[in-house]
Amino acid sequence: MAKFHPELDLLTEYAAGNLPLAQAACVSVHMNYCEQCQRTSGQLQNMGAALFEELQAEPVGDALLNTVLARLDDEAPLSYAKSSEWSAGRTPAILQRLMSGDLTDLVWKKITSSLSISYLKTGDPNYEFALYQIKAGGKIPEHTHHGSEMTLVLEGGFSDADGSYHQGDFLLRRPGDVHAPTAVQSEDCICLAVLDAPLKFTGWKYRWMNPFLQLRTG
Amino acid sequence: MVEIPEGTKTYTQDAAGRRTDEWSECLVLIASNEDRAAFTRFFRHFAPLIKAFALAGSSLSASLADELVQEVMLKVWQKAGGFNPEKAAASTWVYTIARNCRTDMFRRLQKFDTPLAEEDVMPDQGSEEPFAMLQDKRSQERVRDLMQGLPPDQMQILAKVYMEGKSHAEAAAELDLPLGTVKSRVRLAIQKLQIQIDR
Repeated sequence: MAKFHPELDLLTEYAAGNLPLAQAACVSVHMNYCEQCQRTSGQLQNMGAALFEELQAEPVGDALLNTVLARLDDEAPLSYAKSSEWSAGRTPAILQRLMSGDLTDLVWKKITSSLSISYLKTGDPNYEFALYQIKAGGKIPEHTHHGSEMTLVLEGGFSDADGSYHQGDFLLRRPGDVHAPTAVQSEDCICLAVLDAPLKFTGWKYRWMNPFLQLRTG
Repeated sequence: MVEIPEGTKTYTQDAAGRRTDEWSECLVLIASNEDRAAFTRFFRHFAPLIKAFALAGSSLSASLADELVQEVMLKVWQKAGGFNPEKAAASTWVYTIARNCRTDMFRRLQKFDTPLAEEDVMPDQGSEEPFAMLQDKRSQERVRDLMQGLPPDQMQILAKVYMEGKSHAEAAAELDLPLGTVKSRVRLAIQKLQIQIDR
């Protein structure tokens, strides 16, 4: 069971639906391992529902009602399949979707002798969403963070000066935090890491690429 | 307005005399009979709230707000079979659909190319176990009742975060308050609403 959780502020923003896509995906993977945070975020969501009920109603005309009624025929029948459920124990459904397969199908890019990274595409233009594989007992060289970094342990575990982290544990590093994580000795560690993209770099890159992208789509 | 046949149903009433489960009944009728009259009643009550939610923080134009109303109400029709009246109030259920659809709409407008829909990252909360469902439902009612007693400075921030879709930092910037003040007001509100933080 997870011992490190997202802070209440973060859970509130998650429950309100305000987190950037990549961060929301990471928090939801934590939920996969954490019933407490599921319950808490359910309750935080109830705050939104109560506010929603008290909104000052905006008039909606019959024309819109008739448009919707006319479209009901086109909609799929009501046989309701539960699409999204927590799936404790298995690779979280969101990751399966993003990996289009399992952990074993991933393409890993070797960074150092003990660290490999596999980048996943969430479509969030502001965040990098990647899996880090650290060899058993391996160390990631000391580094600092320019932006925020969310980390979630998927398999194995690692430790740094502040503690040791295992499956389902969630960590948020802030700009300026320095650390040197070391994987546990007994097995490889796989983590999900969500980072702010280097905005200046990205912006510069996008400005260069935009004309070409427009030409292609045009 | 479509009339509810008299004498066919019994309703419980809340302090204001509202039929608290009228909207749950509508959803059950939609799911079991594809009941368009029930859908129409439901639409007339909730579409104006969904539109208000779309326009909160004036982030969407009126035509996009109408588009959101359509999208949410079509989802209501499709998903009514998944609604469990033991577990949630109809308004809670609709709110989560509206929230997810609005977020998806924002991402479409920003041309996100993503395999994920918001409902993938916001799966159904809560257990199907009877006692847990009862607790869930009680907590929804408690939050709704206690919300009336929150001081305006806390309500203002909750409205920004939940209805206008602002982050704590954005709310702080708009209200010209320190981020710490915004966060502590949200925490105070959470305490007053007796929301249990399991840790």
